[in-house]
Amino acid sequence: MVNDLGRKLAKLAFEERGADMLLVMREEHGNVVPAMVPKGEDLGDVRLDIPYQLITILENIYPWVSKGRIAIITRRCDEKALAELVKRKYVDDKRIVRIGLACSEDQIRRCRCEDPVPSKVDLGEPHAAAKGDELISRLEKMSQQERLEFWAGQFKKCNKCFGCTLNCPVCFCDDDCVLEDRTFVAEPSVPPGLSFHMIRSYHMIDKCIECGECERSCPAEIPLLTMRKLLAKDMKELFKFRPGDEKTVSPLNTTLEGEQLEDGCDEC
Amino acid sequence: MAEFSPTILAFCCNWCSYAGADLAGVSRLQMPPNIHIIRVMCSASVKPEYVLKAISGGVDGVLVLGCHIGDCHYMTGNHRTAKRMPLVQKVLKEVGIDEKRLRLDWVSASEGEKFQKVVTDFVDEVKQLGPNPMRGVKW
Ligand code: SF4
Ligand code: SF4
Ligand code: FES
Repeated sequence: MVNDLGRKLAKLAFEERGADMLLVMREEHGNVVPAMVPKGEDLGDVRLDIPYQLITILENIYPWVSKGRIAIITRRCDEKALAELVKRKYVDDKRIVRIGLACSEDQIRRCRCEDPVPSKVDLGEPHAAAKGDELISRLEKMSQQERLEFWAGQFKKCNKCFGCTLNCPVCFCDDDCVLEDRTFVAEPSVPPGLSFHMIRSYHMIDKCIECGECERSCPAEIPLLTMRKLLAKDMKELFKFRPGDEKTVSPLNTTLEGEQLEDGCDEC
Repeated sequence: MAEFSPTILAFCCNWCSYAGADLAGVSRLQMPPNIHIIRVMCSASVKPEYVLKAISGGVDGVLVLGCHIGDCHYMTGNHRTAKRMPLVQKVLKEVGIDEKRLRLDWVSASEGEKFQKVVTDFVDEVKQLGPNPMRGVKW
């Protein structure tokens, strides 16, 4: 049975914006699961309390959906993740229909989100941004040694489940992830050592859109989003760059004069 | 107590910096023995992962040396390095490792003396910083 929200979504996606299918979360047998529903089919018990990144799901099924326009609920961070995907041509923008969802106050607080309102709000009420991350202010007061102790203590809890990479919407390398390469991370070791986390931090530095999915996925409750936010700040200070905009190019892919280079370095 | 003698990796690109190191050597310039030179084709071959792995493994300092901007054998290789290394430094800083443990500089094939100076300065600086704190972290 379709609920009110489902009716509203169907109208927006299929009637007004001409989508052929809709990617949603819905309740099935007491669990919330993702579902791709073709136009005309029963949407079921659609839910908005999205427990994981729809964009990651879109990214995973996209290669198998060869035609048609896909409607998807996009919060502000989803929009930014989509921009990173479109920029790299993993997804064709013309095949995506966005249905903007403004996050709840509670969600904004949990994500310490500074940019919570999507470019077009179709669902939900826009709320103000959060006022920064409490852990960041604590870390800023620490000495270098204390900071290392803090992060080492956190990262020691890691059991190398790869939840943070698998659930991240902008972690693209799939089969050649260096974190699975024993050159960089000694294979049998759990916890995997600081290199694992520093390398992942570096890899996300020009892509992370601060959705917080890594932190939510982490069974060890490591404050991964705080680390991402710290480095996003550094990136902005150094190169005035923020991921999440289709039109900008990562400074890692330009020369010092700003001319575009090929993605990845195959020159040497 | 014996003076702290750091272990330092120096990545030198084949076309300029390694030749610069060679020149310093044949000119018999005196240099501290702490550095272990790794010859790479270009400074852009120095993946940030190498630097991070080295420091997380307890190396006290990493020096990355390449051709001067404009002189890279592969045209824009060192432009990439110039963008990457400052970000690697930030990653180090955020986890609580002094970013001065990584240094990037440019040394041409004719700059034997500059090579000597860069190496000596860096070794001195790392001596001041003391041993890599990662050595003391029980994992
Ligand atoms: S917050 Fe985490 S999951 Fe989200 S984009 Fe950044 S690294 Fe990926
Ligand atoms: S999700 Fe947490 S425990 Fe799993 S690999 Fe990432 S940091 Fe480690
Ligand atoms: S060859 Fe020397 S920096 Fe590229």
